[in-house]
Amino acid sequence: MKITSDLKYLIIAVIAVFLVVNLSGCGENPTEMQNQPTPYELPDIPGFPKNLNIPADNPMTVEGVELGRYLFYDGRLAGSSHPDSMMTCATCHVQKNAFEAGIDNPRFPGGKTRGLPSAEYPEGKETPHYMLPLFNLVYNHNGYLWNGWVSEENQKLGSEAYGVPAEEPFNFRNLESLVWMTIEAPHEVNGDIEKSVRMIESIDKYPPMFEKAFGTPEVNIDRMSKAIAQFLRSIVSYNSKFHRYLRQEATLSEAELRGHNLFFSEEADCFHCHGGSILMTTNEYFNNAKDSVFNEERDRFVVTGDPLDIGAYKAPSLLNIELTAPYMHDGRFKNLDEVIDFYSEGLVYSEYVHPLMKNVREGGVQLSDQEKEDLKAFLLALTDHQMVNDPAYSKPSDLP
Amino acid sequence: MRQLLSKHTLIFLLVPILALVSSCDPEESKPAPGSLEINFNHLENNDEVVFDEMRYHNAAGNNYEITEIQWFISDLYLITGDGERVALSEEDFAHYIDTNIESTLTWQLPDDIPAGNYAGLAFTFGLKGEKNLQGYFTDAPEANMAWPITLGGQNGGYHYMKLNGFWMNEQQQRTPFNFHLGVGKVEDAGTTNFVQNWFEYIVSSPITVRSNRTTSIELAMNVEEWFQNPNIYDHNVHGAMIMQNQEAMAAGVENGANGGFSVVSISEKNENNQ
Ligand code: HEC
Ligand code: HEC
Repeated sequence: MKITSDLKYLIIAVIAVFLVVNLSGCGENPTEMQNQPTPYELPDIPGFPKNLNIPADNPMTVEGVELGRYLFYDGRLAGSSHPDSMMTCATCHVQKNAFEAGIDNPRFPGGKTRGLPSAEYPEGKETPHYMLPLFNLVYNHNGYLWNGWVSEENQKLGSEAYGVPAEEPFNFRNLESLVWMTIEAPHEVNGDIEKSVRMIESIDKYPPMFEKAFGTPEVNIDRMSKAIAQFLRSIVSYNSKFHRYLRQEATLSEAELRGHNLFFSEEADCFHCHGGSILMTTNEYFNNAKDSVFNEERDRFVVTGDPLDIGAYKAPSLLNIELTAPYMHDGRFKNLDEVIDFYSEGLVYSEYVHPLMKNVREGGVQLSDQEKEDLKAFLLALTDHQMVNDPAYSKPSDLP
Repeated sequence: MRQLLSKHTLIFLLVPILALVSSCDPEESKPAPGSLEINFNHLENNDEVVFDEMRYHNAAGNNYEITEIQWFISDLYLITGDGERVALSEEDFAHYIDTNIESTLTWQLPDDIPAGNYAGLAFTFGLKGEKNLQGYFTDAPEANMAWPITLGGQNGGYHYMKLNGFWMNEQQQRTPFNFHLGVGKVEDAGTTNFVQNWFEYIVSSPITVRSNRTTSIELAMNVEEWFQNPNIYDHNVHGAMIMQNQEAMAAGVENGANGGFSVVSISEKNENNQ
């Protein structure tokens, strides 16, 4: 009996330990839960990447994404509530153009964006490159911007030119970084971080939204960046006709199908750089044989220092390409016909050309008129009308 | 009541204890396993490839340079002295190697490797079976190896290799070539056939794996071998692209299967961190 009663105590002890462990686990949650934001679920799309680019210190939440959407669309982000001095992300990144300015933009003729006018730049300073679209960014681990300057590998902090101290959170590592950079850059928002923070915190609606998203009402640049980055990550594009064709929910027309087969053939060969996967980008960088002389200061070479990257830029996603003219980092092509003509017969050899531009010595892939039409028909099947009309990505109706 | 409780108590305690003891027992009677790491090298005539320089000559007399090599190895086995195969890497069975991505040049196998002496290893160049179905890899960089359905039949799959570079063509122009291997498509009198093109490669080489040690194997791709034996592969004949040219891919595959790989060295790391 001695043994069993000892055992009994042991059992009780074990149960007690279990209870303590479990209760302490459960006990914390209900109290904290009240102020916890709700985790944001990205749609689970078959075939899409599983590995998401979400920093550990900025998990996506419903409240964070919503706050981010407000800031993305609030012109007071530039630090002023005067109608002439308002600017924000959406001033340039327009939803109906897959978040580019668009070639028919009334404020930016030809799609060439500029920062807010100031004493130094009365016309507004030109943005060095033409735009990139904003969707499926959460699936990209290979650097943001045309040259991939913003990436995990970038160790730089702060910016002397913008008077931003070399300390966290002023890094160049992820989408969060684009927010503070953009506010300061004279060729973008042309604002001032401090003024921007003070402006946002003075608007009654915001401190409670910060509280819901981050636990306390404090407004600071770190939280503003995190919220906008969460909103950017929530923008996903997976409902083009091509996507629905892959899911067997739609059929491609004869011309679209011929274009599809060309796109994925070695004769026309677009897939090696723009992706055989459904993102329609590899997020890799190439010199695609546009020029023979290179003197642009923001190509891939400035990031890697590898001579092979001279004149190389990101091969952007071709989803929604119909909406994002003009094309290339320097906007040299006004429409898709010009782009297709270029790949067909406009290639220029240089020692930096990427070997995947394998027809460079023939000047291009030599498409017939019919083939050009077909290829274009396929490119037009890559437009995701649902994304560009999705109210979840639109301007909140109560913003000025 | 007290009796009852105690009996149950005993049973409750004994079952997990027995389970624990019995599961520990067989492990203890065997020597502890070791582990295996493969380091990939790319050689031209036994020397490490120097990229982006027009410095190589193939058997056909072409001058050429290499920009990048991206390829898959899969289904690795160790072969014992009796010719028995020990299957490895059940979980991580395909590994992607990219000369642009330093971290891919080392493959730490997840398996516990039974300690012992082995006579060699076998692996598949490329991917076969379910691994070579479209959508198997969802993430970059592997997903960027996709081989279009239009070229590879119902299943599409992946490039087994992209070897990209330049050669001096007959006009002495530096011209790109894409030596890409994957599923070949053959149209024959109205019917379409698909040729898989992967091959198994066996390297004989004494390999010792010791308990709690990591054996490190330097596995080299001998790049010149793709172009020389038994088929003289001439870039002036096959041109820049061969994904839709099974004849050219078959010549390359036959060459690669014949001397394309070798074990350069085997060493042992002192600490096994697992
Ligand atoms: C004045 C116009 C302008 C404004 C305002 C602007 N952007 Fe941009 N954005 C651009 C241009 C142009 C590019 C491409 C720049 C490059 O890569 O060189 C770009 C690129 C980006 C990218 C990179 C996309 C990719 O795929 O790599 C992100 C993310 C981005 N912007 C987010 C924002 C956010 C967030 C804001 C607001 C805080 C903002 N932008 C405000 C013009 C603007
Ligand atoms: C060697 C890789 C490569 C190949 C092959 C390639 N592209 Fe591109 N593509 C790029 C790069 C890199 C850019 C961006 C270049 C720049 O902005 O300077 C680009 C840009 C584009 C753009 C403009 C994107 C934008 O948002 O401005 C379109 C459209 C396009 N390519 C279509 C095609 C089509 C169609 C094909 C096949 C005929 C093709 N590409 C083949 C690398 C490639």
